[in-house]
Amino acid sequence: MGRQITEMLKGTLEGIVLAILSGRSAYGYEITAWLRDQGFSGIAEGTVYALLVRIEQRGLVDVEKVPSGKGPPRKVYTLNARGRDHLEEFWTTWSFLTGKLEQLREGGN
Amino acid sequence: MATESPGPKSRYLQYLEIITGSLEEKKRYRQYKARIKRLPENYRTAAEALERYLMHFGPADGAGAMTMYEDLADLLEQGAADRTPIRDIFGHDPVEFVEAFMANYPAGQYRARERDRFTSAVARAAGEGNTREDRTL
Repeated sequence: MGRQITEMLKGTLEGIVLAILSGRSAYGYEITAWLRDQGFSGIAEGTVYALLVRIEQRGLVDVEKVPSGKGPPRKVYTLNARGRDHLEEFWTTWSFLTGKLEQLREGGN
Repeated sequence: MATESPGPKSRYLQYLEIITGSLEEKKRYRQYKARIKRLPENYRTAAEALERYLMHFGPADGAGAMTMYEDLADLLEQGAADRTPIRDIFGHDPVEFVEAFMANYPAGQYRARERDRFTSAVARAAGEGNTREDRTL
């Protein structure tokens, strides 16, 4: 992936992950795998993990530890009410931003 | 080392912790080190490199630092269990990863002090929050 998409992802990854979790609960690994399948091939698992740590600290997700066959227990992330509010806010901001960018592209100000 | 006493800390222990830092944190740090030691070699090598970076730029001590190290051990143990390639965990720019990771925890003393200093210097330069009138506009 190019430099530009990496830069743009920095600001939007949180919204993307919250949107994924609004559909269903998931492990960190599943989220990274989904992103890779969707073409975000350069995304590091550690970067997704750092983001999950952050949204957990901010109380946007509920976390359940599930024992796993291999390795330590896995954390399953579920979007909670606060996370849903946050996602709504993200979509509002996103619409504002993309609307403004469309205007710029069309040459009107 | 001494066993954990459930009651209030003795005066001796309180005094000792002033000198040595929290014993609870030291215990957590030792547990983290033991977890890193058990990792496969390449994960361990990466963990130690990461730790060195965090020691320089992350929170040096305190409960926040211990949580950071424990979260790091979780990530690497999981990666090792899944055999996730090192490059897939750290990405092409490991600095970008470590900075995103570190941003979740309290800033290290050095960074925190310089951030405060910079923020208040700008506030002074902007003529805010003090009686001195040094604005020219």
